[in-house]
Amino acid sequence: MIDFKDITYNYSHQSGVYNIDLKIKKDEFCFLVGPTGSGKTTLLKLLYFDLFPHKGKVEILKYSSANIKKSSIHKVRKKIGVVFQDYKLLKQRTVYENIALPLHINGVGRKKIKQLVNEALDLTELSHYSKKFPNELSGGEQQRVCIARAIVKNPDVILADEPTGNLDPTTGHRILKILEQINKEGTCVVMATHNYKLISDKAYRIIELNEGKVVSG
Amino acid sequence: MIDKIAFLFVEGIKNFTRNKLANFICIITILINFTILGTFFVFGYNTDNIVNFFRSKYTFEVFLNSDTNLDQAVTLKNEFLDNTLISSVDLIGKEESAKIFYDEFGEDIIQILGYNPLPMSLKVNLHDKGFDSEEVNLLIEKYGSNSFVDEIVYQGSYVDNIESRINLFIFIFLVLVLLLIFISIQIIGNTTSLSMSNRKDFIEILRYNGASNLFIKTPFLIEAFLQSLVGSLLAFLLVKYGFVIINSYLGVNIKIDDYLWAWMIVLSLIVSSYASSKSMKRILL
Repeated sequence: MIDFKDITYNYSHQSGVYNIDLKIKKDEFCFLVGPTGSGKTTLLKLLYFDLFPHKGKVEILKYSSANIKKSSIHKVRKKIGVVFQDYKLLKQRTVYENIALPLHINGVGRKKIKQLVNEALDLTELSHYSKKFPNELSGGEQQRVCIARAIVKNPDVILADEPTGNLDPTTGHRILKILEQINKEGTCVVMATHNYKLISDKAYRIIELNEGKVVSG
Repeated sequence: MIDKIAFLFVEGIKNFTRNKLANFICIITILINFTILGTFFVFGYNTDNIVNFFRSKYTFEVFLNSDTNLDQAVTLKNEFLDNTLISSVDLIGKEESAKIFYDEFGEDIIQILGYNPLPMSLKVNLHDKGFDSEEVNLLIEKYGSNSFVDEIVYQGSYVDNIESRINLFIFIFLVLVLLLIFISIQIIGNTTSLSMSNRKDFIEILRYNGASNLFIKTPFLIEAFLQSLVGSLLAFLLVKYGFVIINSYLGVNIKIDDYLWAWMIVLSLIVSSYASSKSMKRILL
């Protein structure tokens, strides 16, 4: 499902990822761990084609960085749900509207949107907040909205970039629980985190990065 | 698909109502530019009428020799009336000439001189349709040498001058039209850029959620369309009713093309789609 083949990506300030070879299977839940600047976010950005490798190639859901056209990137992204550390929610839209956005993009009908958004709201325990605006919510609640938006389109892969980074431990565990539940339903989840404590008791695959290289995993 | 189109349309309208100041400035600019453009169109449409208006004022005056009698003058008048270029001929007798002299100079020439030295004359009015200045010149040349004729005064050279400059007017008109279209493109393009910059986060979120460039562009395109539609519609109303007022106050008959509204709106939509697409292409590289 996900295949990094000898990937190198350099930023101008001499950081990035180097010679990464990784495979992640369908239905897998794995953590990308490592200190700040170790290359976790870079790997995720390479997966949703926000960045393109300088060497090697990334393959995800039958799309390859080697030959994907710029005009086709949106097709991959339709199948990927991305959860951001800074949530990236639309402040002038309600929770409901934020979650419905990917469905509008996918051309889903109004009735179906209502049904799917309500399911996502239930799963993330946000049903009571559907008419609220993001700035009326706590950090944890906003992160759950971000997760609901990522899962509502029933993606094949969820990429979560430090989803618990700004949250207290209890809320962090709650977010992780939601992601585990999504994975149990068959969605591949790749979660970047530097919070070792949060994942220490989990039996999932852990890919450890340091200075842009895979240390273990 | 219908839901998707409805969503994009609503987004376009939301954009339009959200960026009030930028849209207001843009609409005012389109209004001014298209009012000027519409006025040019009306003048262009009425070029023939305007030239004919001047032509209708064309007459030439044939001053007869002082020894020409009334019968000879009437014969000459009838000769003129047989010519297809001429619509009517007024015979101005000696007494009437003296009256005209009095009206113009305030002096009674008969009282001053003791006799009337003014000759009879023919005021020849030309047809404005099918006017051909060369034929008129030939006609004047022909009668200039007539034994009853002393002098022919013809002011048609002014009209010839206007007609010969009409190509220059059309050239200036086209340059101004292009200049106004260029200004409109710049203003609409800048408003679209501004609108997109203000909504950078929205565009980024749409992209991460799988929106194609077309999906992202559509609401901004609708916003630009609405600016053009409102601006050009107001401009049309201003031009139309402006000329209605001018016609009624000046007693002229400036005609307005029945499809002027369509020309103005279609042109503004073409301008706005080109300007906004160009500007979006730059931003959505």
